[in-house]
Amino acid sequence: MFKKAIAKSMAKSPWLYHINTGSCNGCDIELVACLTPRYDAERFGFKLTGSPRHADIVVVSGPITSQSKDRLVRTLAQVPQPFCVVSLGSCPRSGNVFKGSYSVEGPLEKYVHVDVSVAGCTPKPEAIIEALYKAAGILAEKREAMTK
Amino acid sequence: MSHIHFPVVAVMSMFVGGFLIAIFGAKRRKLSQGIALVTMLFADVLVYSLFSPVILHGEVISYWMGGWKPVEGYAIGIGYEVDQLSLFFAMLICFVLTMSMIYSIRYLEKDSALDHYYTLNLMLGGALLGIVMTGDIFNMFIMIEIMTFTAAALTAFRNHKAISVEAGFKYLVLGSVGSGFILSGVAVLYGVAHTLNMAQLSTVLSQNYNPSTIFAFALMFSGYALKSFLMPFHTPVPDAYSAAPASIGMLHSGSLNKCGIYALIRLTYILFRVMGLPAVQTMMVLIGAVTMFVGVTMALAQHDFKRLLAFHSISQMGYVVTAIGLGTAIGLTGGLFHAINHSMFKGLLFLCAGAVYYAAGTTDLDRLGGLSRKMPWTTCCFIVGAFSISGIPPFNGFASKWMIYQATYQKAVTTGNIGYALVTVIAVVVSVMTLASFIKVTQAVFFGQERPQLSAVREVPALMRVPMVIMSLICVLFGTCYNLVNDFLLYPAVYATLNTHGYVDAMMGKNYAAASGMPFVKYEPVQFSFWNPVTWLVLFVIVLLAVFVVMMTGESDRGRVLANKGEEADGKFATFFSGEKSLPSHVGGSDLFWGFKKDFKKYFKVVQGIHSGIVNDYVLYAVCGLAFITVFMFVFVLGR
Amino acid sequence: MIQDTLMVLFHILVFPGLLFVCVCGLLLAGIDRKVLAHMQKRVGPPIVQPLYDFLKLMGKETIVPQAANRTVFLAAPVIGFAGLVVMMLFIPVFGYGTFNGSADLIVLLYLLTIPAVALIIGGSASGNPYAGIGISREMVTMMAYEFPLIMVFLAVARKVGSVGALSFSMLNIEKWQQVNGSLITHWAMIPAAIAMLLIIPAEVGTQPFDVAEAETEICEGPLVEYSGAPLAMFKLNTAVRMFIMTALFTMLFLGGITTGMVWLDAIILVAICALVTVCTMTLLHGICARLKIEHLFKFYWTVVAALSLLSLALVWCGL
Repeated sequence: MFKKAIAKSMAKSPWLYHINTGSCNGCDIELVACLTPRYDAERFGFKLTGSPRHADIVVVSGPITSQSKDRLVRTLAQVPQPFCVVSLGSCPRSGNVFKGSYSVEGPLEKYVHVDVSVAGCTPKPEAIIEALYKAAGILAEKREAMTK
Repeated sequence: MSHIHFPVVAVMSMFVGGFLIAIFGAKRRKLSQGIALVTMLFADVLVYSLFSPVILHGEVISYWMGGWKPVEGYAIGIGYEVDQLSLFFAMLICFVLTMSMIYSIRYLEKDSALDHYYTLNLMLGGALLGIVMTGDIFNMFIMIEIMTFTAAALTAFRNHKAISVEAGFKYLVLGSVGSGFILSGVAVLYGVAHTLNMAQLSTVLSQNYNPSTIFAFALMFSGYALKSFLMPFHTPVPDAYSAAPASIGMLHSGSLNKCGIYALIRLTYILFRVMGLPAVQTMMVLIGAVTMFVGVTMALAQHDFKRLLAFHSISQMGYVVTAIGLGTAIGLTGGLFHAINHSMFKGLLFLCAGAVYYAAGTTDLDRLGGLSRKMPWTTCCFIVGAFSISGIPPFNGFASKWMIYQATYQKAVTTGNIGYALVTVIAVVVSVMTLASFIKVTQAVFFGQERPQLSAVREVPALMRVPMVIMSLICVLFGTCYNLVNDFLLYPAVYATLNTHGYVDAMMGKNYAAASGMPFVKYEPVQFSFWNPVTWLVLFVIVLLAVFVVMMTGESDRGRVLANKGEEADGKFATFFSGEKSLPSHVGGSDLFWGFKKDFKKYFKVVQGIHSGIVNDYVLYAVCGLAFITVFMFVFVLGR
Repeated sequence: MIQDTLMVLFHILVFPGLLFVCVCGLLLAGIDRKVLAHMQKRVGPPIVQPLYDFLKLMGKETIVPQAANRTVFLAAPVIGFAGLVVMMLFIPVFGYGTFNGSADLIVLLYLLTIPAVALIIGGSASGNPYAGIGISREMVTMMAYEFPLIMVFLAVARKVGSVGALSFSMLNIEKWQQVNGSLITHWAMIPAAIAMLLIIPAEVGTQPFDVAEAETEICEGPLVEYSGAPLAMFKLNTAVRMFIMTALFTMLFLGGITTGMVWLDAIILVAICALVTVCTMTLLHGICARLKIEHLFKFYWTVVAALSLLSLALVWCGL
């Protein structure tokens, strides 16, 4: 009975959880800036949560350093379905300037399927918001696929 | 055999049973337990069969031992008088004793010298029944002495442990001090009135305020306050209740301090009839309020399960004394109801603590954790007990506390004194702090992560669970059907307490009270305000059903509920620990309520400093308490 | 007979029970977020956003962690919710009382502890150390605000001045206000009203008193392991608590208005509740940062307690 309403709400209320896997913090600052009054991502229903169990969209920034790799995998395992992964910035996409380093463990795609990826160093807030919006749409599709 | 003999036979049979075990029970565990249970059940039958004549038909049983009836209006024999108040407490004591005995069958299986235990237990039971059913003040003192000595011995039962012996010693010293006070008071009274019978004393002492009688009152009040463990006489309690085996701890908090309360009621309402004096009311309410507050704040700082329960016992006795000290019918109803409820839920909590000790080997809150999965019955009973003591509707603790708040507020309105309204405020704050302590224990012991050294814990045996479940059911029952409890238990007891003429006449002969010139006080029935637990429960259940119906309809729409049965260190079902491996990191015992303890640091320094652990200090506090009460009575009662 | 039963069921399930309480709670939560956004010079989410949040959470899967006690973990939010809904049945809507003979003000004070305890027990049952810290803070918050709250209730009861069984009856307080004017117009009650306005955010758990559910500090506190439908229930509980606390405040201090028509009274009630929400929760949320637990406790036991004690003393002197 509520299937359609729930599927529609998936896209209307995506909650974010942010994981920093060794980033320089530039992308993290830009992400938080999206939620400030100037760009106001909250009008689409985005909200930062404190626990991965509450998350719908997991935003990962930073090249995956060796030290953070296990923790990243563990945290991602704890997120309930359906969820999307957004890779923020060029670091999780390709390693950016840190590619080839002894302590960087490669692109995010190796560990989890990335739904949306925003390139840039740092990407503009508008690009981040567009990416999150796209992720919300993919979330609704995943929900529909889950209940078929 | 007519039911007039039942009270004496009940008391005597307990002593006889005790002696039989002492003679035949050495090294024969099953025989001791058998004799104990049979004696206990026999006494139960005798006491409960008095329910019909005494409570339903309003008869007051009076029995002169040896047939020594009063001569020319003077009592010369030992009289046993059972009115509704006595039977109220007697039924409560029998119930608690029976539960304790059933529990102790499995609980003490690892201890030796059980014949000593059951002998002392039966003698304690006989003494308790003697206290509530006797009508003679010196006989009451004898029974109090037996109670003190057996209780001290039972506290030190596990005498291979240092804390038990220390606790027993403290209990003995302070118990003797209290008994000394009582004996001095009795001696002074005998010197004034030349009689030891309570009914006759009541006529002699009525309105008779001179220095001797007031001094006797102060002495006896302090002695009985020590037996109820009010402040500043509460000092042996934390050690005694925590060192004693749980079945004895349950008796301590369930019946020993109730006997002290019974004695206080007899003293103030019937013997001296001073309850109408504002000075006495103020004193009792003051003592009660201080006891409540200091008891619960000390409890919040404890990190041993049974010690925490002990401080809560002190605090709840503060509630009872505050309610009784108001001098109104509704106050007395609330106080008596809280007394019986306290025995139920505190007994239940002590049994749960014993179950945890039996299963895990320790009661230290810093070393326990996560026991709810292995011990579901204990957890369920504990939660019922914890909610009852915290006053969560619809359990019994809430019903009696609600009556007490009404009583204090009515008193504030009728006397216009804002102090009583502040007592209501203190009572509510203490209730919230009680809830806080029990949330602390729930988190520290039952929920949270399981410690690796506790992996062998299993649920306790059925014979230990039976008393816990019975007492939980009674907690729920008394909470939802408090009107029934009021009609059958409380109203008769309160009426009997306020109706001194009836008490005196039953013992000494018709119209004795009126002829001696005692003033007659009319009893106004109690009117409660709005609380209908059954309605609330019905509404609650209907809403729950509605929610479940909504949940069920969306079964395929909702997300699935997943739970993992197997061990998994990482992955979906691990504890979220910011991405780290979930290592054992239980937030328990002393880690909780950090902010509260920080704000109250100075207060705790003072109060915990007062509880120094040195017996000499404790005796000093007791004597200071006596001095305060004596001075207070002399100034405010005689000075007018 | 059948009609009576149907009427009772209507009261429990539609108005002023389940449906009414949920709709109004979600509405108030939405208004709170919208007004906060405008205070911060941004547009903010639509007013129905809490409904979207609730439906979305219903669609997520629920993971019960290994260390959790499954029955208690799943039952806690439902018990809290049922407790809240039943509480609304005892609060009269401007003179239209449904079950008033069943609970009075002191009982309501204790019924208010049930949802808080449900949150605490749920968090405790999840077996997470963050939750352990969160419940400890929640309990200390509760100890902090119960002290001034009981004094506010006693001040109200004394002002209304009934005796015996009616001392704490909510319907009686309403009737008194219809005759003598709202309690807030009596200047001796103004400190109590301010105290209650300060107590409401702590009771509901919004900033600056939400140290128990501190998002970033202890990862959502007691709710850390919750996901899916139980989490949806807890969020709904928060929204409903907003409505119930503001409705209680309205009944105690702003009562006495009746239009005679129940549905109009209900609409006025919701409007006033929204106004009260904005004045207390949104205002404080937008202006203040989160208080630490020891400061929170000290604040309630000094400032707020002093306000309510002042009111109690003034009322006791007959003012």
